Amino acid sequence: MSNMTTSKSPSKIGVIMQHEFLKRIRSKGFIIGTLLGPLAMFAMIAIPAVIGYLSKDSSQEKISILDQTGKLAPLIVEKSPTKYFIARVSEDSLRAQVLSEELTGYAIIPADILKTGKATVFTRGGGGLSLFGQLENAIEDVVRNERLKEAGADLSVIKLVDEGVDLATQKVTETGVEKDFGAAYAIIGYVLGFLIYILMFIYGMMVMRGVMEEKTNRIVEVLASSAKPYDIMMGKILGIGAMGLVQMVIWAVLGTLVSMLAGTILLKLGIVGGETTAMGAQPGQQGVPEGFSMPSISPWLGVAFVFYFLAGYFIYATLFAAVGSAVDQEADAQHLQMPITLPIIIPILFIGNVIADPNGTLATVMSLIPFFTPILMIVRIAATSVPVWQIVLSVILPIITFFGLVWVAARIYRIGIMSYGKKPTFKELAKWVTS
Amino acid sequence: MSLLVVDHVTKRFRDITATNDVSFTVEPGKIFGLLGPNGAGKTTMIRMLTNIFVPDEGTITMFGESVGPAHQNRIGYLPEERGLYKKMKVGEQLIYFGQLKGLSRPQAVKQTMLWLEKLDAGDWFSKKVDELSKGMQQKVQFIATVMHEPDLIILDEPFTGFDPINAEILQRLVLELKAQNRTIILSSHRMEQVERLCDDICLINHGRAVLVGSVRNIKAQYGRDTVQLEFEGSDEFLNTLENVKIIERSGHFAELRLLNGASAQDVLKSAMEKSNIYRFEIVEPSLNEIFINVVSNNIDQSAEAAA
Repeated sequence: MSNMTTSKSPSKIGVIMQHEFLKRIRSKGFIIGTLLGPLAMFAMIAIPAVIGYLSKDSSQEKISILDQTGKLAPLIVEKSPTKYFIARVSEDSLRAQVLSEELTGYAIIPADILKTGKATVFTRGGGGLSLFGQLENAIEDVVRNERLKEAGADLSVIKLVDEGVDLATQKVTETGVEKDFGAAYAIIGYVLGFLIYILMFIYGMMVMRGVMEEKTNRIVEVLASSAKPYDIMMGKILGIGAMGLVQMVIWAVLGTLVSMLAGTILLKLGIVGGETTAMGAQPGQQGVPEGFSMPSISPWLGVAFVFYFLAGYFIYATLFAAVGSAVDQEADAQHLQMPITLPIIIPILFIGNVIADPNGTLATVMSLIPFFTPILMIVRIAATSVPVWQIVLSVILPIITFFGLVWVAARIYRIGIMSYGKKPTFKELAKWVTS
Repeated sequence: MSLLVVDHVTKRFRDITATNDVSFTVEPGKIFGLLGPNGAGKTTMIRMLTNIFVPDEGTITMFGESVGPAHQNRIGYLPEERGLYKKMKVGEQLIYFGQLKGLSRPQAVKQTMLWLEKLDAGDWFSKKVDELSKGMQQKVQFIATVMHEPDLIILDEPFTGFDPINAEILQRLVLELKAQNRTIILSSHRMEQVERLCDDICLINHGRAVLVGSVRNIKAQYGRDTVQLEFEGSDEFLNTLENVKIIERSGHFAELRLLNGASAQDVLKSAMEKSNIYRFEIVEPSLNEIFINVVSNNIDQSAEAAA
């Protein structure tokens, strides 16, 4: 009679969880992934900003204005002296210059433009919408002012018309009004939603591969003779989840450091000022009059992020575990993965709609479907103030869903790990669940 | 009290009956052989003992209780298909398996070191499994099976993958465990090993237990009905013998099985009338012959039943 195993020992699920956690956290993959994560994050944020900056200022576009009115050209050139020039040669030589790529194009301002409102630009083709849009705006402004002048409008009137409207956004809070960073918060929501999406995928796949490794290497038979299938499955899911949390904490710390560093660098380069706001604001709106300031991020957003990440991870990891247990090799997993990957991807397709109208019916309904909640609710919480009852539902429903899925997945897992040979169909999986 | 009582156990997978109404008992401190051709249902039986599968019908009583997850810590199981984490270090892996069987971490560390030393593998601790040869991996798997000092050790085809020297070491270890009063269930189709090691056997064929009992009794039982003959001249006379089944005939030699309780003396008499017999011997068959006989008989019977 052995006296070793009668001593009080930790639960099997705890042993398995600890093993999974330690094994993965010590692996090279974890260290590389953890270090490269913030780099990828930085790249995701910085590259579009840099590209925007480059494409805006470094353009070598040159457009000659062939003015047949004899008075509008200088006014147009004034709008952007580095881009527009007054043509001092014939149309034929302009055409030659375009063909030889000395010019991007040339625009003909007809003598009767004030009546017809029609002008033409000639290019080698292409050129981009922003090029034409800017040129059109420039000509339009000039033509409008000329028409007003001809109609006898006062200079002060013209100035008034030119001024346009600058819509400042203010948010009403209990302590009064404060600057509304709606656009910035929407971006934060988008980033957080996208992070949950990526992490659910990465960690979910990790669970699936782990289950498959144990099955194909026949380790699972030793495990199953030592612990209940439910414990093996949940131990793995919990262990990888714990690893994910640790990785996120490291990323949060590294990310803060990197973004502080990046912010300083970008600010020095003069990139940030216009661009960060332009990402969310209407195109063409230049700069922020009040100067650059960061929106404050509530710690509750962090708590919500961790909760929705965990909710999403647990929901999908159980499904990934079930799929991993049912197949012998990764290629076979493809067809069973479809019903899992689809509900992960769907919210990403709707993320734009949710940001556009975070309290609309679509956003509300979609974000309360438990499979979509993790990604869409964090977007809404970041972008707007979500009614309390919806937050409560978005906490309760995924938890209930998770427990339901664990029951289903454990039944598939229990049979799947011992079934080799043929790929099961969905019908067979359903039989496993109900048997 | 029997350590294990398997009572009319049936397990079906869809339309296949993997084990059909199987009963046997395993006594403590004995080596019990679970035999049978491939696909006979041995592994299914073992998986029910280790609580991986649950029987559809019948009961399994282990240590005096109905078998359940609580008994898993007291069982050591070496599956036929060996499984280790390839990228993991041997030491870590064994410690994990020990903990899974209910050892505390310090206990698991201690047992790992102890067993690695015992198998002259002290320097494997920090080696990854895929750096080891197949035979070395087998040893690691064996340590994982016995390191938590289980009362019941189940070895499914333990000798496959071992070279003769290591097979000898393994056999010595198995006998050592038996000397410590552990109970061992050995599944194998290598009959010479089973014959040497096992006290009792259960032969499973097509899911049914076709032969159950102690090796001594079984051999004695079959020993009385197997006859070897050597003779001169034609072997035509063999065809005229009644109540015998010819197992083997070649030139001047034949091996016969007596059927329906026919007496060896009667067969000898009628053979002597027709031929010049110069050797007549009642032999004890090897377990291998019994195995083949029973299994092929079984096939004959099922073929007859089908016809």
